[in-house]
Amino acid sequence: MKHAWINKVVIGVFCTLLAVPAMAQEDELKDLPGYVNFGDLSATYGEPKITINLGGTMLNFVGMMSKSESPETSEMISKLKGIRVQIYGLDENIDAARSQFSQVKGDLKSSGWEPIVQVNEDDEQVLVYMKAEGGNMEGMTVMVVDNEEAVFVNIIGQLNPEELGRVMDSFDVDVDVDLD
Amino acid sequence: MNEYDDKWEERINALLDGELEADDAELLKAEATDDRELARAIVDAYQLQQAMDALRVEQAPASLTKKLQAIPRQHRSKPGFSLFNFAQPRWAAALAAIPLVVIAVSLMRPDTPSAAEIAQARQEMAIAFAYLDKAGVITGREIESTVGRTMANAVTDSVNRTIQSQSLNFKENEA
Repeated sequence: MKHAWINKVVIGVFCTLLAVPAMAQEDELKDLPGYVNFGDLSATYGEPKITINLGGTMLNFVGMMSKSESPETSEMISKLKGIRVQIYGLDENIDAARSQFSQVKGDLKSSGWEPIVQVNEDDEQVLVYMKAEGGNMEGMTVMVVDNEEAVFVNIIGQLNPEELGRVMDSFDVDVDVDLD
Repeated sequence: MNEYDDKWEERINALLDGELEADDAELLKAEATDDRELARAIVDAYQLQQAMDALRVEQAPASLTKKLQAIPRQHRSKPGFSLFNFAQPRWAAALAAIPLVVIAVSLMRPDTPSAAEIAQARQEMAIAFAYLDKAGVITGREIESTVGRTMANAVTDSVNRTIQSQSLNFKENEA
């Protein structure tokens, strides 16, 4: 076909244009000092039951939309650069999740993250780490592994725990989180 | 016409005529994905060739066709743009390519999320914060069961102060 190449070129150009924003957003988060690579547990537990990746652009829009309802919430969101969550439902085998937990813990320590809170129980492990550079908080990481799920949360930017509690009510959305 | 344009013209014509080697064609494709101007030049040339195919009564020699195709590009940078020039087939082909360019430009603009997407992001943010809250409850409960409520409150306050002292003194800084 004489013009087969031009069709491929045009399709290639459009595919590239479509892929650029998503790749740019992911790269933007990966380059931030508060970013944490949680690895991938999908080989053991299948796809995560919840995956959240909110970049700075989307957070800005959420913050702007929240401004009229709750300036405090908008103010808090404006200091965030990214929010990432991976939650895997565990089967009877939780060894892989615990192994990943230890792996990420080691990575955090070696890359300058500071442990804030740690709970080590037989049926429940919780780690809260924070990273700060030059007196500024760059990110917070929370990992929870119990008998039912493995939760990895990475907040990139500044987050005040006291503000978090106050603004939760302003979201006015139903979130069902099992607390055992 | 500069040397860069000449090189493009030659390769694009070879591509459209099916005379470009497979490796060179792949290379041109790769360049076109990174260079919007090159991609548009290819589309323009394709449109022009289609227009010429439709109008052709008698097949001209390939060398003459290439020379004719090169003429509009040679005159593009010259002053003296006129309505007559606007009616040339090259310009007609360029006009036909405008919708394609508009679509490409709109795709390259930063996405503006819809209200539904923002609401979804808000929900996701609430989920993330709920899990943070869950971690806080678990750690608080653990501390409380270990050292008692009074000490638990003291530890929790201490943790909060540690976090805040690192970075969350922005309120003082702003004041």
